[in-house]
Amino acid sequence: MSNDTGKSVRQRPALHPGRSSDLLVRWSFMFPAILLLVTMLAYPIFYTIDISFSRFDIASFGAGEWVGWENYIEVIDDYRFWESLKVTMIYLVIALPLQVVLGFGIAYLINAEWSGRGVIRALFIIPMVVAPVVAGGMWRMILDPLWGIMNYWLGFLGIGPLDWFGDPNLAMAAIIIIDTWRWTPFIVLIATAALLALPKDVFEAAKIDGANWWSTLWSVAVPLLVPVIAATFVIRWLGAVKMFDIVLAATYGGPGKATNVINLFIYEEAFRSLRFAESAAMAVIVLVLTMVLTGIFLRASRKLEELF
Amino acid sequence: MPRRSANTLGHKLRVAGGVAISLVFLFPIYWMILTSFKDQVDIFTTPPKFFFTPTLAAYVEYMQRADIVNRLINTIIVATGAGLLSIVVGTMAGYALARIRLRGAATFGLLILLSRGVPPIALAVPMFLVARKFGLIDKHITLILAYSTFLIPYVMWLMRSFFMGLPRELEESAMIDGCSRYGAFFKIILPISLPGVLSTLIFSMILAWEELLFALVLTNRHASTIPVAIAGIAGDTVNGANWAALTAVGTITVIPVVIFALMVQKWLIKGLAEGATKG
Repeated sequence: MSNDTGKSVRQRPALHPGRSSDLLVRWSFMFPAILLLVTMLAYPIFYTIDISFSRFDIASFGAGEWVGWENYIEVIDDYRFWESLKVTMIYLVIALPLQVVLGFGIAYLINAEWSGRGVIRALFIIPMVVAPVVAGGMWRMILDPLWGIMNYWLGFLGIGPLDWFGDPNLAMAAIIIIDTWRWTPFIVLIATAALLALPKDVFEAAKIDGANWWSTLWSVAVPLLVPVIAATFVIRWLGAVKMFDIVLAATYGGPGKATNVINLFIYEEAFRSLRFAESAAMAVIVLVLTMVLTGIFLRASRKLEELF
Repeated sequence: MPRRSANTLGHKLRVAGGVAISLVFLFPIYWMILTSFKDQVDIFTTPPKFFFTPTLAAYVEYMQRADIVNRLINTIIVATGAGLLSIVVGTMAGYALARIRLRGAATFGLLILLSRGVPPIALAVPMFLVARKFGLIDKHITLILAYSTFLIPYVMWLMRSFFMGLPRELEESAMIDGCSRYGAFFKIILPISLPGVLSTLIFSMILAWEELLFALVLTNRHASTIPVAIAGIAGDTVNGANWAALTAVGTITVIPVVIFALMVQKWLIKGLAEGATKG
């Protein structure tokens, strides 16, 4: 360990890999995390893969005999699986860009210099820490077709009454509204920091050159922000693919299967229908899809960073 | 764009827009809290009531139901347990990733980062099966361990970037002065990192406090948490959603979290910004 580091003052212990006893000490910092994550994260993933290639044995309540790709074939033939993937895609394709654009737009607004700026920024933390399941529940009340305050207000605009949870498209809209309400503040906070970190002199220069607001935005601000926007998108993507709580509380996948996102579908198949083998196969497919898409997004964001 | 202009019309519009939009975002929470103090007659009425005689009926009724009190206690136990476990394990690992040269540690770090893409449902199925086999369903410890799967990676990455921002000379001089590696970490690094560690702990506890899927799958009665209760109330299609119950339990869930989050807001914003720019 350090029994002789005191002797030589020149030695830089932190930078040099030491002797074997030191090796043990150094790994000991990492060991608890490795132990926990291997048993609680890696092992379950391998077990899911194991189940997905087996017949589920009800007697032992575990993986039974090996059946090869049978479960996967069954899942791929199941139109409900594809519908659920489609629903998830629609949600992601609309919600993610919407939230990123809104987030940066709102950050621009609340970054205006005035005495209340800090308070406003702090207030944006509040929706971010509301439990998603609570968010789903309370918006269900706000959007209630009969008594909800949203339809009451929309009435003044001559809209409605809208059957938010009875119409498939409106139900999807409701899910996206709730999700956007819950997650945009998160992007606002990241964007606020990013906007504050922008070099001021570049904007001064653009102003002196007579650039107007719009062209300053597109040719100065956006290129500077591209790395942060890309990173924000990836972070938000990693959260959004886990969409479950809000849908469960607000629509429970309905009406019909209009908002039945993939995580809810797999949950239902596993824990209501007890089709564990098929659920495991679906979970593995989703896991692979997520990893591949995350890889592509990470690559794309690197590329974007190089381009700008 | 950051303009210096103090009092132009554009600036005023921007301030007004910022205030308006923050009110829009806060309204749903305000409305939930307001509704929790209404009686049934004031809830189901048109136009919606902003002024009414407040009542604690919903709180009294639902707090008396043992399962809400029990669930609150469970949620506190699980959030505290998972938060503490993850902060200890994650902070040490984050320190190792930031400061200690270990063969293979970088690969491990990358795997941890990738793990954030794992859908929780892919973990919930095997966890349920294994927990059932070993009689671990409906135990606090099971939920605490399940939560550590997403909390440890979260703590590791936040603390890693925090430790990378500290000057290296800190532990170097400590170790030259005869401190062991543990000594340098526990006596020098940890004390000066305490605000960061505490904020990360609080935010980890918030994430555990709000978790639904694992709680739904791994508990049924004794260790069940508040989010499960809310999902139950919101999803009660037989009696229709009980809004008084929903808003009262929702308010109880949200208030402590909001207070804690506002306490650590400075660090939170900083951590978010760093996570996005360096991650």
